[in-house]
Amino acid sequence: MATLVQVENLRKEFGNVCALAGVSFRVEAGEWIAIMGPSGSGKTTLINILGGLDMPTSGQAIVDAIDVGRLDESGLTRFRAQKIGFIFQQFHLVPYLTALENVMLAQYFHSSTDEKEAREALERVGLGDRVEHLPGKLSGGEQQRVAVARALINHPKLILADEPTGNLDEANEETVIQLFHELHREGHTILMVTHAPSIGRLADRRIAFAHGRLVEVPASLKTSL
Amino acid sequence: MFWRLLWKLLRGSSGRLVVAILALVSGAMVISALLNLEFDIERKLTQEFRMLGANLVISPGHDAQINGAAPAALMNESEAFAAIQSLKDPAVVAAAPFLYIVERAGDTPVVVAGTKLEELPELEPAWRIEGQWTPSHENQIPCIVGRNVVRQLHLALGSTLLLSYLGKTTQATLVGIVDAGGAEDNQVFMGLAEVQRLAGLPGQIGLAQLSVRGTAKNISEFAARLAAALPSYEVRPIRQVTEAEGDLLNRIRLLIGSMVVLILALTALCVLATMAALAMERRQDVGLMKALGGSIARIVTLFMAEVGVLGAAGGFVGAILGIELSRWMGQRVFGTAISLRWEIFPLTIALMVAVALAGALPLRLLGKVKPAVIFRGE
Repeated sequence: MATLVQVENLRKEFGNVCALAGVSFRVEAGEWIAIMGPSGSGKTTLINILGGLDMPTSGQAIVDAIDVGRLDESGLTRFRAQKIGFIFQQFHLVPYLTALENVMLAQYFHSSTDEKEAREALERVGLGDRVEHLPGKLSGGEQQRVAVARALINHPKLILADEPTGNLDEANEETVIQLFHELHREGHTILMVTHAPSIGRLADRRIAFAHGRLVEVPASLKTSL
Repeated sequence: MFWRLLWKLLRGSSGRLVVAILALVSGAMVISALLNLEFDIERKLTQEFRMLGANLVISPGHDAQINGAAPAALMNESEAFAAIQSLKDPAVVAAAPFLYIVERAGDTPVVVAGTKLEELPELEPAWRIEGQWTPSHENQIPCIVGRNVVRQLHLALGSTLLLSYLGKTTQATLVGIVDAGGAEDNQVFMGLAEVQRLAGLPGQIGLAQLSVRGTAKNISEFAARLAAALPSYEVRPIRQVTEAEGDLLNRIRLLIGSMVVLILALTALCVLATMAALAMERRQDVGLMKALGGSIARIVTLFMAEVGVLGAAGGFVGAILGIELSRWMGQRVFGTAISLRWEIFPLTIALMVAVALAGALPLRLLGKVKPAVIFRGE
């Protein structure tokens, strides 16, 4: 398998606070990685940097052979549109757009919209009959499935999911986890932040964080420093 | 998708945007009314000033006095009027010759002005007349008599006025009593030919007065052309009238211009306040759009298009209301409706779009939003 993500001695500081203190690891294409750890351990910061939403203070975060830290604003915009699919704990759907339009929004910023394809993406996550609903009219699980459809619509290289089941009840959590299973079977590379050990155990590997550092990481996952 | 998003943005924030659009409609209404007034003010003011009477005088040149002695030098009537007609300028509203002599009505001396009576209503529209300007019977010699003369000589409409001058007499019928509020109230106006006969000056006039439509500049230009056609006479605008007109026009324009700028600024401030609140609401959406790969230019263009639509809509509705407002203002100020100027519509809409875009600065600044900061809830 080819390496899709390579993180080398990655540091991120917010003023005097060190969120990531020299983290290194790699992810092969098609892997499902669970990133675990307590609140404030640097998980979301790592996801933000890998997704081009934040810049590292030092070190490298290479995704699909692109060093994210070296990209300028327009480069980051292109990177996010073409390489990354985000799934957030809070869903982050635009409230005045329908489920269909929320998916098409990602298409619009990527290249051009294709309503048929967007409908198919929603059908795939079981929302074929909810395409014209506004987020406010959808349950939490349905909203998260819209977010999954939106994340997949541009065929990203890497899916970054930050606590995707954190706001869901058990039934909806199960539905969303099933979707992740399907994505994984299809060969998508997934980095998922989660607090839940039960969900973490579903991943191929777990990366644990504490105080901005990796802990309990098998040696085979570490890059040579 | 662009138009779909634009429509959803407008619908999604309609509550907030109502405030902005009300400001834009109000601003556009007042601005279009003022601009319509400004565009038409010259014509209206010119009309108003024409009410003040003649604004151009042709008189004998300084070196044209006969033997350098009184009576004052005279002009050739046909020469002067041929020159006026040769210019064929439609701006000439009225032109009347005048020959003044002092006749006697019994023992009382009165100033008699020989003129074309039929030109007086156009030449002096502010004069109030009781009776008629011109006679109803052609076989009588008509005269119009100033209010003071009527009072002094105890005359009434239809009275016969016996006038004598250097042994010649004429009997005129009083057809109209004029109240001009000036020296004309002490004068008698008769047909020019009759006065020329009494004075023994056939074809001669003392001066000619013209009422010329246009701005002070137009009138000066016409005077220059007429002066070129009548080199031996003096042609001059009546400066008090033309300069007052120019001054007033400039002041009104300055006032209107200042008000337009002020209203534009106030409208922009109102839009700015609304957009600042809207920008706060949209930080989350913008953070998300950027996370999805939306470029700053694409996101800001979307918001600017939204604001542009608001400006255009506000400008259009405001312009329609403003036209009605200007009509009302015209009635109140000038007593007649202000003419509709179609160019006001695109101008008002363009101004409102510009103001809306200027007031949308907070939305433009949304381009600087950092998605990670927004998602952290900062």
